[in-house]
Amino acid sequence: MVADVLAFIEQDGCTDDDFDRLALRLFAHQYGHNQAYRRFCQRRGATLRNVKRWSDIPAVPIDAFKELDLRCEPSAATDRVFMTSGTTRSEVKGRHHHPTLAVYDRSMIRNFSSRFMHGSGRMRLGILFPTETVLPNSSLAHYLALAVSEFGTEESRYFVSPQGLDSPGLCDALADAERHGVPYALLGASYCFVHLIDELKQRGESFRLPAGSRVMDTGGYKGQSRELPLDAFYAELSARLGIERSLCINMYGMTELSTQFYDAGNATVPSVKSGPHWIRSRLVDPLTRREVARGERGILVHCDLANFNSVTTILTEDVGLAADGGFLLLGRAEGAQAKGCSLAMEEFIRAAAP
Amino acid sequence: MTTLHATAGYLPGLAPEEVQWQPLVFESGATRLEVAVPVLSPLQMTALALRVKQASRLHLKTMTVSQIVAVVDRAIARLLDPADAFRIQADRLLPIVSGYDADMVRLGLTAFFKTFREPQLHRFVAEDFANPKLLDEFQPRPKGGAARAFGPDLLVHSWAGNVPALPLWSLVCGLLVKAGNIGKLPSAEPLFAGLFARLLAEVHPPLADCLAVVWWKGGEEEQAAALYAEADTVLAYGANDSLAEIRRQLPVTTRFLPHGHKLGFGLVSAAALDTLRAPGTARLAAWDVMRYDQQGCYSPHVFYVERGGKVSPREFAQYLASELASLENRFPRRVLALEDSAAVAGWRQAIELQSMSAGGEFVSELIGEDGAAFGVAYADEARTLAPTALNRSLQVVAVDSLEQVIAQVEAHPPFLQTAGVAATPAELFRLSELLGAAGVTRITAIGSMTSPEAGWHHDGRFNLLDLVRMVEIEQSAEFASDKLAPYAD
Repeated sequence: MVADVLAFIEQDGCTDDDFDRLALRLFAHQYGHNQAYRRFCQRRGATLRNVKRWSDIPAVPIDAFKELDLRCEPSAATDRVFMTSGTTRSEVKGRHHHPTLAVYDRSMIRNFSSRFMHGSGRMRLGILFPTETVLPNSSLAHYLALAVSEFGTEESRYFVSPQGLDSPGLCDALADAERHGVPYALLGASYCFVHLIDELKQRGESFRLPAGSRVMDTGGYKGQSRELPLDAFYAELSARLGIERSLCINMYGMTELSTQFYDAGNATVPSVKSGPHWIRSRLVDPLTRREVARGERGILVHCDLANFNSVTTILTEDVGLAADGGFLLLGRAEGAQAKGCSLAMEEFIRAAAP
Repeated sequence: MTTLHATAGYLPGLAPEEVQWQPLVFESGATRLEVAVPVLSPLQMTALALRVKQASRLHLKTMTVSQIVAVVDRAIARLLDPADAFRIQADRLLPIVSGYDADMVRLGLTAFFKTFREPQLHRFVAEDFANPKLLDEFQPRPKGGAARAFGPDLLVHSWAGNVPALPLWSLVCGLLVKAGNIGKLPSAEPLFAGLFARLLAEVHPPLADCLAVVWWKGGEEEQAAALYAEADTVLAYGANDSLAEIRRQLPVTTRFLPHGHKLGFGLVSAAALDTLRAPGTARLAAWDVMRYDQQGCYSPHVFYVERGGKVSPREFAQYLASELASLENRFPRRVLALEDSAAVAGWRQAIELQSMSAGGEFVSELIGEDGAAFGVAYADEARTLAPTALNRSLQVVAVDSLEQVIAQVEAHPPFLQTAGVAATPAELFRLSELLGAAGVTRITAIGSMTSPEAGWHHDGRFNLLDLVRMVEIEQSAEFASDKLAPYAD
């Protein structure tokens, strides 16, 4: 199975039939080897017989990664387990088991190379996120470690430690790149970039990084920084670093996936996100689980063929809108506010939080 | 798609062209309704407040309570007349604005208006004032001396939510204590308050300038501050953080009466669970869930059902599900926005996942078809009271005895208000002691949870007494004045 998925990723693209064929093979595999998933499918009335296309595969809500054991291979000491960051109140974290990272890594490398590196050779990378040693269960930490090992030059460095952002070190690195005319790539969590913007503002510093320099942020603010509207975020980032907004790229990824989505820069927001040929998405009404009409907002469902061991198809909590060549990501479906004067869950949870 | 237009608010003394208007758009099926809401400048807001104060001093404070009751009764009679233009407008537009089923709205409005007819209004006053004449003139006190109740010069209302016509409650309270009234209309149901104000002005023209209905965008502090600065009392509805925000803006001397969101629940005793009575109780409970899709502060989220009856708690949950299924045919649930759908889906998924992850032992289950426009979750073990996702999602919890419920609900006194009870007389009074101590303020029959009786004490407070200021003439003043009388010896 792993070999087949790897071969699929290496292809230059795929037809609808190609995609369906592998999606259905993976579905049969996961249905057969994953008891929790099989029970879930049975509740949804989905069987090997009536699932005929990738879009028929029942989408597992991401919360299921917290409650159920979603894996085909028995757990082993050598597994890598990525866990959700648990930004929401609940203590339980979602767990995504990877018996091997071969598929995850290949998926990341192939896609990153074309969507972020744009085919350029190794670059100086600055990482605004803790290392994989500090956060061994973070898929983002692993992703960024791969970026450094596969695409970074020796001068690449991490600037976030458990102590926080090393802004003097980062400013030195940026100044050095600027001075020597070496293109520089800065990658990390969106909230770390907000800290950077605030820091540069306070110091009254800004840079004009050499042509070809770029930025990749991901993950939103997660309550770890002030909330900056998207437009202001990229305007500030672009102004402080001297990088045009079309090279400020946002990556949309999830612990529950093995493949990421990118945009082609953020000259205008929200930008159109898209993934490689081994992942497909659709927009559904979360209650009926039927696809919404074109032009209507829906909840994103992703079918990621690189998720060979867990489940290919997940129901996110993200709101999307179909767009040419991909989808617009419109944030999380939260804040269902009480329309009347009956208490809504969100307010209750906030009130009950210690 | 047909587009309708309506104008919200009520601004005595201001011509439409003198203010700015902002459209709020509502869509329901193939109808789009654009409601223009007024945006006043802070100066206009202040002028309006002064005008309302002045007019109510001249025209409202000079009426007796009985005269005011008679005027409100005439307005309500118009609203109870299905052929009246105001009622026709309410019946036509409120379903579009709120999204609720038109029949549900029509029945709900009629039941609601009936509680504001003359006899009910007198009861309303009598509930707070043993002697209603206290509102009209100085009345002798048993302890000696005399007293009179004065309402505020300006009562400001901050309404919230989409339950149709809800602003009527506090507006009538304000009128009964002869306050000048300015209400901030709720963006989710901007129409009724202005409609009622226009109707009142038509029924009794001297009242035309005694009330106003305004709007401002959340966060527009200047307009809010201009109005609050003129108010003696502010009555506000909404989530606790919005209430905190309003309180922050008020001068310390302004009386603030907040009504936060509440979490209703029901208790069903084993005595109500024989094969004859259980289906009827389930039917009534389902009505309470269906009305306004659980958006009322009194709406039930959870039913605690006692074991030991002929009908088990699980069977009761099934009855509830089938009643909700048949109500869906008569009064379909409103079309949910994506965020609401996601909340309901999340609630359902959480229960599904719990039932799948439990190691064989039964914890909870979801009753009713996947995709149905309601959901009944059944839990076989005690559950702390917590909100469901609303929109006809209901939690049924089996308990060994109803006394156990107290421990499940008492952690959240600020969110308690209504408890529906189906129990024997002895159980009712025993439980009511416990429920009252836990923070519940209203105990009612299942089936009546969503229709409080006229004169109820909303959130356990005194609707009218909380608004007034008592002025007392002490006995000593009376005695002293005697000495100064021209006929004094």
